[in-house]
Amino acid sequence: MDELELLKKDWQENQKFPKLSKQEIYALLHKKSSSIVKWIFILSLIEFGFWTVLALFMKDTEAQQRFDSYEMDHIMIPFMVIGYLILGYFFVTFYKNYKKISSTDSVKLLMKNILNTRKTVKQYVLFNLVFIYISLVIGVWIEMDKNPDFQLITSKFTETNEYLVMYGIVALLTLLMMVALTGILLGFYYLVYGILLKRLKKNYKVLKEIEG
Amino acid sequence: MKSTKEIEFVTLVQEHQNLIHKICRLYTNSDAEHKDLFQEITIQLWKAYPKFRGDAKFSTWMYRVGINTAISLYRKSKSRIQSFSFDDVSYKIPQTETYDDTQDQQLKSIYAALNHLNDIDKAVILLYLEDKSYKEISDTIGISEVNARVKMNRIKKKLKTQLNP
Repeated sequence: MDELELLKKDWQENQKFPKLSKQEIYALLHKKSSSIVKWIFILSLIEFGFWTVLALFMKDTEAQQRFDSYEMDHIMIPFMVIGYLILGYFFVTFYKNYKKISSTDSVKLLMKNILNTRKTVKQYVLFNLVFIYISLVIGVWIEMDKNPDFQLITSKFTETNEYLVMYGIVALLTLLMMVALTGILLGFYYLVYGILLKRLKKNYKVLKEIEG
Repeated sequence: MKSTKEIEFVTLVQEHQNLIHKICRLYTNSDAEHKDLFQEITIQLWKAYPKFRGDAKFSTWMYRVGINTAISLYRKSKSRIQSFSFDDVSYKIPQTETYDDTQDQQLKSIYAALNHLNDIDKAVILLYLEDKSYKEISDTIGISEVNARVKMNRIKKKLKTQLNP
């Protein structure tokens, strides 16, 4: 068959395809990185949901109701709004990272996006830690100022002019709580994001090795 | 180390990339589809790479995985892929150095006719065009050698009918 011979000749002689570099081929496999970044975005939303549900359950507890009775909304509401705004910024950034990483086919950009994502997650963890610390300090300060039991203790220490000792104890206890919370939160974040970040780091290393 | 394995894999794919391009050329009709399928085949090859034991040649194994990927993708989006346009086909025709209008038109018609073949027939003709023996064709596609010969004869007839109605 003449046509088939013509086709065979053309097929074997006139194949001009773009030659992909090793980096470009590795970049094709970057769906791995893109799915990791997608999971980071999804997990951040799940985590937000988890804390929100936890806060809802805590709403009816005695401690929370007592705290609400102090009527400190003028401090707590702006504080929460700022917190949510910053969280919103992180969700948007996580989503943008995912979109960028899934649409790029350039190795340089892919590497840059991996680094950016790792940076964003670290900032997110840092923000959550700082937010918890500030919440703790505000909480302790409000309790000291409004809680009748605390006021009783304060007056006793003031009577004996030992209020410095009292503030020292409060500061120490707050610090211990901070250390405990840091441990718990870092452990939690290591489980949630740490493993994904390690995988991203591995992908980054391979990309760099190929590029080098 | 896993990263060493990845580098080894990427190097092998880079060496044999034309093979993937050829599969893409036969199973897709546009640049975007070509790129998509190329990526999909590369990913599937990487997923299957731990199972590659070196019993077969790397290129034979690549054909097998590549064709299977193209066929499964082709089945998923059959309606989309079949609705090709003439422009798309002409994009895929490489320019011959000595321009021959009649031959060029004839090739366009042949490539357009190839587009109407079913997924298995495309796999058979692809390997035939690559000068593979019927034994290699049967091993790669997973059919008997006799079946491969029968299919090739039918393909020739189909093409003849389409090109000379």
